[in-house]
Amino acid sequence: MYSLNKRIGGNRAVPPRPILAAKRRRQLHPFFFSMGPVALCISSTLLIGLMAILYLTQLGQAVTANQRMQDYQAQQAILRRQNQDLVYVISQEQSPQYIAGAAKALGLVPADPKAVHMLNVKDLEHIREIDPHIQP
Amino acid sequence: MSVELRRARNRQMLIFLLVCVGMVTLMGRLYYWQIVRGDSLAQVAANEHIQNQILNAPRGVVYDAREHLLATNVVRDDVYIEPIQFSADHGPDIFQSALEELVSTLHRILPSVSEEILYKDFNLELQTVRIASRIDPAQSAQLRSLQLPNIFLEPRTWRIYPGGSLAAQVLGYVQQDDQKSVGVYGIERQYDQLLAGRPGSFTAEFDLSGNPLVVGASAEQPAVSGADLTLTIDGTMQYIAQTALANAVKELDAKSGTAIVVNVRTGAIVVMAGVPTFDPNDYSKSATLTGCLGQESVFFNPAVYCAYEPGSTLKAVTMAAALDQGLITPDTTFNDPGYRTFNDAPVVVNWNGLGYGTESMTQVLEHSANVGAAYVAHDILGPKRYYPYLAKFGFGQATGISSQEETGLYRTPWNSPKIWTPGDLTRQAFGQSIEATPLQVAMAYEAIANGGVMMRSYLLAVCNNNGHVVTTQPEVLRRVISARAAMLLTGMLRHSATDGFARPAQVPGYTIAAKTGTATTQGIPKDKTEASVVGFIPATNPQFVVLVKIDQPQNTIYGATAAAPLWKYIGQQLMWYYHVPPDAV
Repeated sequence: MYSLNKRIGGNRAVPPRPILAAKRRRQLHPFFFSMGPVALCISSTLLIGLMAILYLTQLGQAVTANQRMQDYQAQQAILRRQNQDLVYVISQEQSPQYIAGAAKALGLVPADPKAVHMLNVKDLEHIREIDPHIQP
Repeated sequence: MSVELRRARNRQMLIFLLVCVGMVTLMGRLYYWQIVRGDSLAQVAANEHIQNQILNAPRGVVYDAREHLLATNVVRDDVYIEPIQFSADHGPDIFQSALEELVSTLHRILPSVSEEILYKDFNLELQTVRIASRIDPAQSAQLRSLQLPNIFLEPRTWRIYPGGSLAAQVLGYVQQDDQKSVGVYGIERQYDQLLAGRPGSFTAEFDLSGNPLVVGASAEQPAVSGADLTLTIDGTMQYIAQTALANAVKELDAKSGTAIVVNVRTGAIVVMAGVPTFDPNDYSKSATLTGCLGQESVFFNPAVYCAYEPGSTLKAVTMAAALDQGLITPDTTFNDPGYRTFNDAPVVVNWNGLGYGTESMTQVLEHSANVGAAYVAHDILGPKRYYPYLAKFGFGQATGISSQEETGLYRTPWNSPKIWTPGDLTRQAFGQSIEATPLQVAMAYEAIANGGVMMRSYLLAVCNNNGHVVTTQPEVLRRVISARAAMLLTGMLRHSATDGFARPAQVPGYTIAAKTGTATTQGIPKDKTEASVVGFIPATNPQFVVLVKIDQPQNTIYGATAAAPLWKYIGQQLMWYYHVPPDAV
């Protein structure tokens, strides 16, 4: 550890001239370079302006993205809704009563169980295995 | 100091003081808004911008065994108007003309909403009024394209059943309001929690139009969709049976009817139909309809909820108990003079009053002789050897297939020691003094058809809970009778179908084992019967148990004449539909 006097040379240091000292007092040292107040004001303004532009650009992009996302979401909702409607229409048209109605409209009539004739085919082996679809 | 200078200083001082007072006032006001009211105002602002939306979980869909939709969801719009805003936007000079134009346009697009009602609604002092609900997609498109002022559409998800009344009593329906949907009756009720899923939430800042802003804090808990269910019901067979049942009930001028088809090997329910039924898409229209002989709401599934006296179909159970214990054989004979007296029970007579003389047990089923059944139960079995079989066949117990199920009941010396009499035993032998659901009777025959092994009946085949798939495996419930007893009884029931009253149920090309039943209930006139047939097909390799029950038919009252033709029709359709090879050629 050392004191301030030791660091700047103690009593042996030459005191700065008054005018130079006043000048130095008016000068500011933001980083590693000296800058006058006017220059500092201008550069600060520029910096703030730059940051504002950057922020506004980012914000604009975010808002655009937000808008796009909302559009996508709305589109997705519409597509989902259309899909549901189509699934419903398909299931309706697959339903037995719809098919029966359509068949009737085409002039088809249900098969009459009384009109069924069983034919005996000689030497035909009995099939013991039934349709696998029988298992629900 | 000159006078002018002093005055100037005084003016400056006054201005300074005024500025100070102004500043202090402003500071005070600032303190009031920022410090005193700060928190509450911040909360109000946050409430205005930050909203919490409930994300509704899509309700699971229901398929039949062939993966055809039985229940699904669609989005339909509700139409709202803004009466207060409309008045504010249109001055008194143009209000009437604008209103007339708007009402006329709305009525043209939504003809179901009368102009009178629209005028009335627009004059209400309310922010929003719903004028139509669940409008057609075409109407929605029209309204959207017109962009009418002070009109907006609110989409809402609705449960919809593409098959209309198909298997309605199995499915039940969903009661929907603005807040939530609840399954009522049937599968919708039983699996409501699974089908409903779990709603999520979305918290974020919203713009004036109510759209969420991605800039800013937001939190989302996604909704979990409901599980999709696949039933064992086959939509096509269900339709065939349900339509045929409805026709039969109409032709016979009956009150109601039930049809059940069970897969013998698995216990899966293939068909479960009831008449009268309802359209779950518009269930409110059927709110006053009743089923179960007019005793219960039409929304209940009669196959599991309407207990009845099964009548002569229960004679097979009496025979099963005696055969299984080796107390009789199909050829065991006794004398049937047409009546039988018991020292501790009322006399039992045959339904037609006829005596058959020396009669084998097979002939008891053929003739549907009450005397023979009562003789077996009372003289051969007795309570200790009879009632355990009723329990083993599942009578008086819930099958567990539905959350809304009747168990049925019957008296025994143990559950009703004070009121049970041997007369109960003799009557129960031929299906009176006992109440059972149609499903219980069908499952009793399933056990006989399945070599004496009863399977657990089930309706839910597959549950797909967001990728977690659970498939119901057929489950053996218990062995009820020995395989030999089941085989002997099947032979007796085949005779009942070839030489007995179940003859009209015979299906060309196939062997069947069936028994008719014509039940009457005490206290009700004798011609008010419950005509039924239950049996299985093909008898040599049983695949399906079919039960048909017609309640109080007017044109003909017997099981053989009222229910057997329908049984035959369903049996034949089953054989064709599933390509079961004929076994009787």
